[in-house]
Amino acid sequence: MRNMLAIGVLMSLVCPAQAIDELTTKDLQQLQAALAPKDAAWKSIPWHPTLLSAQRQAARQRKLIFIWSMDGHPLGCT
Amino acid sequence: MVDRALTFADPEIVKMLKDDFVPVAIDQWYQRQQKDAEGEFYRKIAGQGPRKDFEQTTQGRYICTPDGQLLAYNNNRGPERIRALMKAALADFDPDSLANVQPIDDGPPDAGYVRLPPPDGLMLRVHCKVLEGHEPTEDWTAVFHDAIGRDNAWFTADEKKQLVRLMRRGGGSFPEPIALRIVRYHLTDFTRGEPPRWRANEVKSWSLRIDADGEVTGKVHLETADGTRGYQANLIGKVVLGDDEVVQFDLLAKGDFWGRGRFTFHAPEGRFPVAITFQMADGTDEADHILPHGAKGYLPGYYDLTN
Repeated sequence: MRNMLAIGVLMSLVCPAQAIDELTTKDLQQLQAALAPKDAAWKSIPWHPTLLSAQRQAARQRKLIFIWSMDGHPLGCT
Repeated sequence: MVDRALTFADPEIVKMLKDDFVPVAIDQWYQRQQKDAEGEFYRKIAGQGPRKDFEQTTQGRYICTPDGQLLAYNNNRGPERIRALMKAALADFDPDSLANVQPIDDGPPDAGYVRLPPPDGLMLRVHCKVLEGHEPTEDWTAVFHDAIGRDNAWFTADEKKQLVRLMRRGGGSFPEPIALRIVRYHLTDFTRGEPPRWRANEVKSWSLRIDADGEVTGKVHLETADGTRGYQANLIGKVVLGDDEVVQFDLLAKGDFWGRGRFTFHAPEGRFPVAITFQMADGTDEADHILPHGAKGYLPGYYDLTN
């Protein structure tokens, strides 16, 4: 507990509360555009959403399956 | 994030994935546990590799045949190794050996792991960026400096109607379940891996209001009990209605973040500016259908914030 309090005090010194800038419609537009998905090579790959949908295509086309298997969804929040 | 910027940015790997393989991207947390045909097929493949304990992560890159024979596995993120792995698998591969392989039906899904978007609900794309604060690096962590995180936010058809009714009545504070879902599950730094959600007692204060014209304003203060991680931000947005339907939902949160989660290493020191944007998803991106990270493991809990 004492350590946690010490960390809290330290963080309050390192990260004191600060005024946050008010936002404008221009901020909204600019940052929506800046953070919008860009063309990227990985997005051009026709990733299947499930293993079995990939299996069915691979069986039909006699191809190998490549599985990108992660903690968190590879196309989402990882 | 690192894979996207390194391995799957490699032109030769991308070409092989498009031409010679059937690529699939999954969060293996589900497949290694779900009791249905999808899970069984995954465990059959992964069980031939080095990560056989399905109580632990089995993440990696697997190459297999459609009848479930594992040909190669690697958890290295270097494009050179993955490229070599793919080439070696193709060199030894005879397509005619798959002549008798049958497609596998989905069968009934494991109800505990269903993760479908809400019917007629509101689906938003959520993006996040650390705007500045990273110290320059020359190693692989440099990919984090410009990284844009991607997540989804889901709201039920009933919640969407609540929002429409609120605007029709002249506006007011967002319904608490909608606001707290945005605040607790989505106002976090998810640019470097899976972030922790905010617990109820870490929401120090919030306000999120909408007026009759759909103008949204808000403010949040989120902070862990020990003060080592937090986010103080303002919000601004615009919601546009069609015929009793939301046709535009734009929202921006921008403010100071500090600290990191258990799986989000390499955060900048001290306070750093983080922007998070929300926009309606049109379903054209495969990632539009991915479960929100905050719903991982228990979708009902994502909607029910009494937990």
